[in-house]
Amino acid sequence: MLRQHGIRRRMAATTPLILAVLLLAFVIAVSLTHDRALARMAAETLIRVTLVVGFWIFVGNSGVVSFGHAAFACLGAYVSAWTTLKPAMKATLLPGLPDWLAAAEWPVAAAAVAGGGVAALVALATGAAILRLSGIAASIATFAFLAMVNTIWSNWTPMTGGTSSVVGLERYVTPWAALAWAVVALAVAAAYGASASGLALRATREDEVAAAASGIDRYRHRLLAYTLSAFFCGVGGALTGHFIGVINPDSFYLSLTFLMLAMLVVGGIGSLSGAVAGVMALSLAVELLVRMEKGVTLGVTTFALPPGSQEIIIAVAMILVLIFRPAGLLAGREIMLPARWVGGRADRTTDPTS
Amino acid sequence: MSKLAVHDLAVRYGKLTALAELSFAVAEGERVFISGPNGAGKSSLLAAIAGSVRAAHGRIEMDGDILSGLSPEAIARRGLSMVPEGRRIFAGLTVQENLMVGTGMRRDRGAIADDIAAMFAAFPILAERARAPAGALSGGQQQMLAIARALMTNPKVILVDEPSLGLAPKVVDEVYDRLTGLQDLRGLTMIIVEQSSARAARVGGRMLLMRGGRIIADGDAAGFAARDLLAEAYFGEPA
Amino acid sequence: MSLQLLFDALALGGIHAIAALGIALIFGVMRLVNFAHGQFIACAVFALILPSADALAVLGLGRLPAPVLVPVILSVGAGLALAAEALVFRPMRNASPVTLMVGSFALGVALQNLLLVLYGGRPKAISLWAGLGHPVRIGSAEVPLLQLIVIAAIIVILVGLALLLRRSRIGLEMRAAAEDFGMARMLGVPANRVISGAFALSGSLAAVVALVLVAQTGIADVRMGGQIMLVAFIATVVGGMGSLSGAVVAGLGIGAVSALLQAGLPPEARPFRDAFLYAAVILVLLFRPQGLFAPVGTRTRV
Repeated sequence: MLRQHGIRRRMAATTPLILAVLLLAFVIAVSLTHDRALARMAAETLIRVTLVVGFWIFVGNSGVVSFGHAAFACLGAYVSAWTTLKPAMKATLLPGLPDWLAAAEWPVAAAAVAGGGVAALVALATGAAILRLSGIAASIATFAFLAMVNTIWSNWTPMTGGTSSVVGLERYVTPWAALAWAVVALAVAAAYGASASGLALRATREDEVAAAASGIDRYRHRLLAYTLSAFFCGVGGALTGHFIGVINPDSFYLSLTFLMLAMLVVGGIGSLSGAVAGVMALSLAVELLVRMEKGVTLGVTTFALPPGSQEIIIAVAMILVLIFRPAGLLAGREIMLPARWVGGRADRTTDPTS
Repeated sequence: MSKLAVHDLAVRYGKLTALAELSFAVAEGERVFISGPNGAGKSSLLAAIAGSVRAAHGRIEMDGDILSGLSPEAIARRGLSMVPEGRRIFAGLTVQENLMVGTGMRRDRGAIADDIAAMFAAFPILAERARAPAGALSGGQQQMLAIARALMTNPKVILVDEPSLGLAPKVVDEVYDRLTGLQDLRGLTMIIVEQSSARAARVGGRMLLMRGGRIIADGDAAGFAARDLLAEAYFGEPA
Repeated sequence: MSLQLLFDALALGGIHAIAALGIALIFGVMRLVNFAHGQFIACAVFALILPSADALAVLGLGRLPAPVLVPVILSVGAGLALAAEALVFRPMRNASPVTLMVGSFALGVALQNLLLVLYGGRPKAISLWAGLGHPVRIGSAEVPLLQLIVIAAIIVILVGLALLLRRSRIGLEMRAAAEDFGMARMLGVPANRVISGAFALSGSLAAVVALVLVAQTGIADVRMGGQIMLVAFIATVVGGMGSLSGAVVAGLGIGAVSALLQAGLPPEARPFRDAFLYAAVILVLLFRPQGLFAPVGTRTRV
């Protein structure tokens, strides 16, 4: 028993490794093409990996759907803007910043960590309230949180610039920089999933009644997962800002919420590999659809999808997945090396949870 | 021909087997008690007959029509009614409204008012509280409401799940009096889950003893009290 | 409080009550938190005009005389909701409430972008029933005729709905199904009829909100459903999900409070009004969860 358990653990540890290697291969393949458009697509995809893997840490382990994680990306993006923009720029765009922030010129990596940190702190404070609620009530509360952050950010003009965009963020996010963060997110997500807290949280995921018996523990584990999850969404938001160079509150609102949720649902909420698979599948689909919206020449006619069809197609795909394959593409399974590769005999009859 | 027949019925919840291929038949007008320890599959059996739990395999027939695979509402329309475990009355509806919920499918519209009057005659307390929210009734009154509500669908077969649960013995006597009285009056076929074999013996009827998702004995309820079968059902094979 | 303010509060509260009812009805019968309700409203608005990306809207159905237009638009709303039920939610009927909620969110995105494809993203000016803008004197206050009509219409709808639920067969079945769907089915209540009924009703309530919004603001915007849906959500949560009377009272209350806050808050705090409302939802969920999600038997507080 014990020996098999050890083998299981070693097999599980290969999941983030394999995923990281796949992402690395993706970046190398893209770099070899020297195609700038492809490189941008790769960077954007890897930022989404950070966002969605972060999102998964909470949703995948707790089974509670959150609509609020785009708000954490918003916080991360603005904190990074506050700490990295040129002081002259801040003086005109964001006159309300306190002096120390107005003068700050932090290195971008520190700013990303700060973005994630602030998002995590806000998650800790709001989650302490929201996560006391049961499943659906908690989901609605996260939606209210998202709407609240968006309203504040759209109106707190001296600090955020309001609905007008903050421009001039240093565009440092290459595919490699995005890969680095994606790998960190994967490692932390896998480590959390294998930790005592992650296991306990997943045990409560299916059964609310049984979970009630473990009351306070479930709450603590949820809060930990929520905070950790918000950190990577904050980092993902900071990366998004420094990828596009321009941010405004609405770029971290319903469309981002929708895209993150769609990726998780399509890939499968039940596993980390599912989260990554969802990002890859939908990013590919988005890329194709964006090109088709720009127009594709087929022989003599140019065929272009109208703007907005991208979202329609993704939404329809998501609904079809919910109807026909509710557990997602990977159906909760993890990609891992077979047992004999990690030094043990595979026993197919062994229950993974035993 | 039997009124209700169950052939090789199996019900599973995931890997757990609730009913393991059991068969029995009930004649028209018969009263059948189902007894057995907790987890024997009694409630699953009733739920499977009423269509609220899907059978893994097997067949359920009423008057020769196949019920298995039909929706609960389609089964109710064919004349099978249920007094479920825990009564499940509509607490926010009035007593009268509770009685009316099951009458939507009846073709004999004119007879509905007569039936309401008949229920009020059989359960005078319901007449008294007709306009009160059903949630305000006592446990025994709620049990009577659940029985009256089931009868308002004008069924031919009625399933009753643990009518005595949580009620004082005196109230249980009253509930059984009304139940058997109405059965005789309307010529109903009735299946009752009842934990207490003594109670079943006193009321009278046939008894099926269940254990581990199977029927392990079938006979007259009065005969069971004398034999060791009950002990066997509860404590395992006799030594 | 001035009479003017009272009428503002009543009209705003009434619209929110109707929108909240549309959400509460569906939650009541099938435990679906319908995030697409706002898009049902937006679709009913755009059904008034012809598809085009121009800034000036050309009325299509909106040209019909009011006695014809109102039932037509109500049917459009009902038809849309019924189609959504048949195509999206019926195939998911055995899914968890969480899956249903995510599905409705996806449906909302699909509908909103469908409008975007058909009509373009710019808000459009619509002039519907322009004659109703002129003011009427009541005592010391001047109130637009439209506002009086809106308030009267809302009262008629609420009374009519209450009668429908209390006195009709489908109303009785819906109330029974909202309490215990499985039991209602075992009493012969057809699941499909009740669910379709709830969706049709919810869709026509969305259409009512659409007509009122267009008449009041004169604008059709692809995003217009989202804001009112959020507030309606808040009302359904505050009133207790699935409780119809709760949704009405909370909708009226929230509308009244936001009208008052708008008038009473210092100008620099006004833009944050909605943020206070959203925070209020979280607080209500925290401190009165038992009254809000009555069927949840689990302990949600430590």
